[in-house]
Amino acid sequence: MSTSSTTLFDFRHTLSPNRLAGLWGMLAGFRLTYAGAVLNLALSTCAKTATFLLIRYLVDDVLQQPDRLGLLPLIALGFISLALMEGGFTFLSGRLAARTAENTALRLRNYLFDHIQRLSFTYHDRTPTGDLIQRVTSDVDAVRRFFSEQAIGIGRIALLFTVNWVALLSLNVPLALASVVVVPIILVMSVFFFRRVSKAYEQYQEQDARLSTVLQENLTGVRVVKAFARQAYEREKFERENWEKFRRGKRFLLLHTVFWPVADLLCSSQMLAGFTYGALMVMNGALSLGEYLAYMGLVVLLIWPMRELGRLIVQASTGLVSYGRLMEIVREDREPIEEGIHTLSAGSRLRGILEFHHVGFEYEAESRVLKDISFSVRPGQVVALLGPTGSGKTSLVNLLPRFYEYTRGSITLDGIELKDYPRQYLRRQIGIVEQEPFLFSRTLRENITYGMGRDVTDAEVEAAARAAAIHDVILSFPEGYNTLVGEKGITLSGGQKQRMAIARTLLKDPRLLILDDSTSSVDTETEAAIREALERLMAGRTTLVIAHRIQSVMNADLILVLEGGGITQRGTHEQLLAERDGLYRRIYDLQARIEVEVEKEVTAFDAPPREETEAPEREAVLA
Amino acid sequence: MPHQEFEEEDFEGALSGRILRRMLGLTRPHWPLLVGFVALIAFVAVQDGTFNFLKKQMIDRGVTARDTTALTWVVVIYAAMMVLQSAGVFGFIYCAGLLGERLQYDLRQKMFNHLQVLSFSYFNRTPVGWIMSRVTSDSGRIAELITWGLLDVTWGALSILTASAFMFYINWRLALIVVLIIPVLVIVAAQFQKRIIAEYRAVRKMNSRITGAYNENITGVRVVKALNREAANLSEFGELTGYMYRASFRAAWLSALFLPVVQFISALALSSVAWYGGRQVGLGAMTLGDLQAFIGYITFMLWPVQDLARVYAELQHAVASAERTFSLLDSRPEIVDRPGALDPGTIRGDIEFEHVDFYYQDGKPVLRDFNLKVKQGETIALVGPTGGGKSTIVNLLCRFYEPKRGAIRIGGRDYTELTLHAIQSRIGMVLQTPHLFSGTVRENIRYGRLDATDEAIEAAARIAGAHDFIVTLDQGYDAEVGEGGNMLSTGQKQLISLARAVLARPELFIMDEATSSVDTLTEALIQRGMERLMAGRTSFVIAHRLSTIKRADRILVIENGHITEMGTHAELLRKRGHYYDLYTRQFRRALEREYELGKMTGLAPTGAL
Repeated sequence: MSTSSTTLFDFRHTLSPNRLAGLWGMLAGFRLTYAGAVLNLALSTCAKTATFLLIRYLVDDVLQQPDRLGLLPLIALGFISLALMEGGFTFLSGRLAARTAENTALRLRNYLFDHIQRLSFTYHDRTPTGDLIQRVTSDVDAVRRFFSEQAIGIGRIALLFTVNWVALLSLNVPLALASVVVVPIILVMSVFFFRRVSKAYEQYQEQDARLSTVLQENLTGVRVVKAFARQAYEREKFERENWEKFRRGKRFLLLHTVFWPVADLLCSSQMLAGFTYGALMVMNGALSLGEYLAYMGLVVLLIWPMRELGRLIVQASTGLVSYGRLMEIVREDREPIEEGIHTLSAGSRLRGILEFHHVGFEYEAESRVLKDISFSVRPGQVVALLGPTGSGKTSLVNLLPRFYEYTRGSITLDGIELKDYPRQYLRRQIGIVEQEPFLFSRTLRENITYGMGRDVTDAEVEAAARAAAIHDVILSFPEGYNTLVGEKGITLSGGQKQRMAIARTLLKDPRLLILDDSTSSVDTETEAAIREALERLMAGRTTLVIAHRIQSVMNADLILVLEGGGITQRGTHEQLLAERDGLYRRIYDLQARIEVEVEKEVTAFDAPPREETEAPEREAVLA
Repeated sequence: MPHQEFEEEDFEGALSGRILRRMLGLTRPHWPLLVGFVALIAFVAVQDGTFNFLKKQMIDRGVTARDTTALTWVVVIYAAMMVLQSAGVFGFIYCAGLLGERLQYDLRQKMFNHLQVLSFSYFNRTPVGWIMSRVTSDSGRIAELITWGLLDVTWGALSILTASAFMFYINWRLALIVVLIIPVLVIVAAQFQKRIIAEYRAVRKMNSRITGAYNENITGVRVVKALNREAANLSEFGELTGYMYRASFRAAWLSALFLPVVQFISALALSSVAWYGGRQVGLGAMTLGDLQAFIGYITFMLWPVQDLARVYAELQHAVASAERTFSLLDSRPEIVDRPGALDPGTIRGDIEFEHVDFYYQDGKPVLRDFNLKVKQGETIALVGPTGGGKSTIVNLLCRFYEPKRGAIRIGGRDYTELTLHAIQSRIGMVLQTPHLFSGTVRENIRYGRLDATDEAIEAAARIAGAHDFIVTLDQGYDAEVGEGGNMLSTGQKQLISLARAVLARPELFIMDEATSSVDTLTEALIQRGMERLMAGRTSFVIAHRLSTIKRADRILVIENGHITEMGTHAELLRKRGHYYDLYTRQFRRALEREYELGKMTGLAPTGAL
C-alpha cells in the first residue's frame, strides 16, 4: 500500500449529520467491493438453501422412485458442488468485506495521523494527548469492526432469514408462517439482553482497571510497602478489589446464565412445534416427505442466528458513536503550511532582516499577550529578551515561525510581510533550540537529521555533533550514533538534550535562530561547552535569545526587557545599566549581590578566630 | 501515558502432564463446581447427540408409519429433553463461569500475596509491566482453559461419541465413513486456528507500534512543525499502517477461509452418505429417517470439531501463561528471616557498617569495604553524585538488600539476627518522589499506623506541616489524592508522606530529599516537619537542601562507593574539596531563589544539587 494513493482521500467529505450516511461516505472507492461482499453472501446463502431443496428432490423424486436411483451419483455431485459454491462465496464475501474494512481503516489511520500533525498549535494546546490517542486507536478500530463484522453480520442474518423464509414459503405457506412466530420475541429479548450485558461488562472492566491500579501502585510503591511493613494491609486492600471484581464477574455471568437457556428453549420450542405441525401435515398429505425433511434443515438456519442479532445491533451502535468522535477531529481546520502569497524558489535563502512594527497578539479574544512591540534586527545580530514569567517572551518568538498569528501591527522579514510567506518556507529558515528539547524514540543520528528532508552524510552529522560538543558523549554509548533514545534506549540529561538540539539546528543551517537560553540546570563544565556551541551556532545568523541571566545577554546587540506583554526597556547592556530604576539594573544588582554573599558564605569558616557557632548566619535562606 | 502497552514476547509452552496437573490442581478447593459442570456438560452433550436420533424416530415411527400416538410420544420425549437441556445449559454456564471467576480470583490473590514477600531484588530485575501481565491477563487465560476449554473438550468429545454411537446403531458401514473423516477435520481445523491466532498476534503487535507512533507524534507535534517533518512522518507512518493492513487482511481472509474449507470436507462426507445411503434406502435397507439422521449428524459434527480445534490451538499459549504464572509463584524471596531471628522490641542503638561490600550485578561493585559508625540519635547527611552509592547505603540499612560481605550491626547485633519485621516496622521513610496510594489524604497518612485515630492523624499532619494545606482542600482530609497522588503537587505529596512517617513514630528515619523544586513556603514547612521528626532519632538523609545538610551532625560525601569526605559543614567547607564546589553552586541557586531572581527573568527555579 503506498501512502500517496491513500492520503488522497479527504475524510472531510464524509462529514455528515447522519452518521450512517457518513459511514457510507467513508467507503468511497470501496462501495463496489462492499456490494460484492454482500452479493457473495447472498449467493452463498442461496447455495446453502439449495442444499436443502436438493434433499427434498432426493427424497421425493429419487428415493421413492426406484427407477431413478441411477441419479444418485449426480445428486452426490450436486451436494459437493453446492458445498463448493457455498464455501467459495462465503470466503469471497469475507475477503471482500475484509478488504473494504481494512482499507477504510488504513486510510483513516493515515489521514488522522497527517491531519493531527497539521492541526494548529492552538488545537494542541487545548487537547489532551490521551484523549486524541484513544480516539485514533479505539474509535478507528470500532469503525473497522462496524464494516467487517457488524454491518456484514447483520446483513448475513437478514439474508439467511429472507432467503430461507422465501424457500419455506415456496414449500408451504401456513407452515412457513407458523415457523417464525417466536422470531420477534427472540429479537427483542436479544437486543435487550445485550444492552444489559454490555453495561455489566463495562462495570466489570471498570473494576478491572481499579484492580490494576491497586496492583500497579503496590508494585511501584514497593519501597513504601516494605518500609512500613504493610504487606498484610496491602493484601487486604487487594482482596477487597479482587472480590469486587469476582462479584461483578458473577453478575455478568448470571445475565448469560439466564439468557442462553431461555433463548435456547424458545428457539427449540418453536422448532419442535414446527416439526410437529409439519409431521401432521405430512400425515394429512398436505406436505411431501421430502418437503418435510427440507423444512427440518431450513428452519434451523432461520431461527438460531436470531439470538446473535441483538449483539450485532448493540455493537453497531458503538460504531456509530465512534464515527461521531472521529468526525470531531476531522472537522478541525488544518494549518495551511504551504499557503502564502510570497512564493520563493526552494533554494532561495533569506537574508534575515527582521522588523516588528507595533505588533500585538492575543489568544482567541482573551487578554492581550503582546502589545505594541517594535524593534528591528539585522543578520549577524543578537536580540535578547529578558523579563518575568508571563511577560510574553515565548509568545513573541512563537510568532516568527507562524505557530501563532499576530493580530495587530506588522512583522516584516527582508521587507516582506511575514503572513505572505508560506509557513513551510519560514519554518525551514528558522532554527529553534528549546529549553528542554523533545527527542524522538529513534537513534541519536536520526534525531540529529530529523526534518532534514534529504540524505545526510555521516561526515555532516559528525561535524554538527562535534560543533555542538555532543560527539564525544555520543561515542561513549555502546552503539554510538545508532543508540536508541527513549523508553527502549538511553535517557539523556537536560544539557545533553540541548546539545542534541544544537547539533540538529547546525545541520539545518537556518537564517533565523531562536534560542531558549537555559543553562542553569547543568554543571559548570557543560555550561561552558554549551556556550561555545551556541556561539558557533549564532555566527552570521539573526538570533533571538530568551535569556534568564545577565551573563547571557551582556553581548547582545539589543536587549529588550518585557513586562506584561510590552517592551519596558531597550538598549545595550551599558545603556540599560545606566537606567537606574529599570528591571534590568535591578536584576544586575541582585546577581552581583548574590555573588558577594556566596563568597562570604563559603569563606565564612576560613578565618580562624571566628566561632563556628555563629557561622550559619545565613541560615534563614530557605525559611 | 494512556497506552503503555507492555509488549509481550510470544511464548509457546511445551505441553507436559506436570503443568496440566498443576493447573487442574488449582480447582481443588472448588471441586464441586468442576464436577458439576463436567457432569452437566456431559449430560448436555449426550442429549445433543440424541436429538437427531429423535428426529429420525419422528420421521420413521410417526410420519412414515402415520402413527399419531408414536408421534405424540416422540414429541413429548423431545419436549422433555429440551427442558432438561435448558436446565443443563443453565447449570453448566453457571458452574463453569463461576469456577472461572473464582479461579481467576484465587490466582490473582495468590500472586499478589506472594509478591508481598518477594525481595527487592526481584522487583529490580522484573519490569512492573511483566508482573502486571501475569496477574491481570495470564490468570484469565489459565482460568479460561480450565473452565471453557475443558468444557469445550468434554462437550466436543462426548457429543461426537454419542453421535457416533447412534450412527453405528443405525448403519455401521455408513458410520465408518463419517467417523473416518472426523480426525481429518480436527487436524485441518487445528492447523487453521494456529495460523489465525499467529496472525492476530502480529496484528496486536502492529497495533501497539501504531499507538506508539501516534503518541510520539502528538507529544512532539511542536518539534514536528518547527522542523517541517510532516510529510516524512506520514510516509513512515504509512509503512506501519501498510504492515498493519497486510497482517490484518491476512488474518481476516484466513478466518474467512476456515469455515468453508471445513464445511467442504464435511460435504464430501455428506455426498458419500447421499450416494451410498440413498442406494440403501432405495433397496429398502435403510429408512428415510436414517438418512435424515446421518445428514443431521454430519452438519452437527462441525461444531464440536471446531471447538476441539480451537482449544487445541489455544492450549499452547495457555500453557505458556501457566508456566509464567507458576514461575512467579515459585520464585523465592532472597531475604528472609534467619532461623531463630528475633524481635528485640526496639532498634534504637548505634548503627555500624563493618567492611560492607555490595553489588547488584556480579562484577559491578557498588560499595567496597564500606565502614561507618553512627551514634544513636545522630543525623547523617549523604551527598554526592548520582550512582555514587547513597541509595544503596539506605537500601542496605532498611535491609531491602543484605551486604554481600561484612555486616551491619544495630545496637551491637548483626541485623540478620533480627526479623525483617522488627527492622522494617520501625523505620520511617520519605522518598524522593513521594509515593501515595489512590484514596483519601486521611487514608494515605494512616498508612503509617493503621490503628491511628483521626485526631492522631491530624496531629501528625500538624507536626509535618501538612495540616494547613490539607484543610484548604475541598474535602479536607477526605479529599481524594488521585492515582499515584497526581491531584496534588510534589510539595504537597512530600508533606503527606512526611505526616505518614511522623504517624509511624519510627525509631529510624530515612529521607531521600526531593530534587524537584517546591515553592518556598512549602519547602520551609517540609524543613520544619523534618526537623521535628529527626529530633532524637537516628536519621539518614540523602540530602539535596542546604539547610538539611548544614544541620546534619555529620556530612558524608559518597563517591564511587566510598566516603570521600566526612565531617561537619564547617570542616568540609574549609577543605575546598567536592563539598565546597557542591555547596557554592547550591548556595547561589538558593539565593537566586530567595531573591526571586527567577521571577524577574522567567526562569523556572531549580532547587537541588
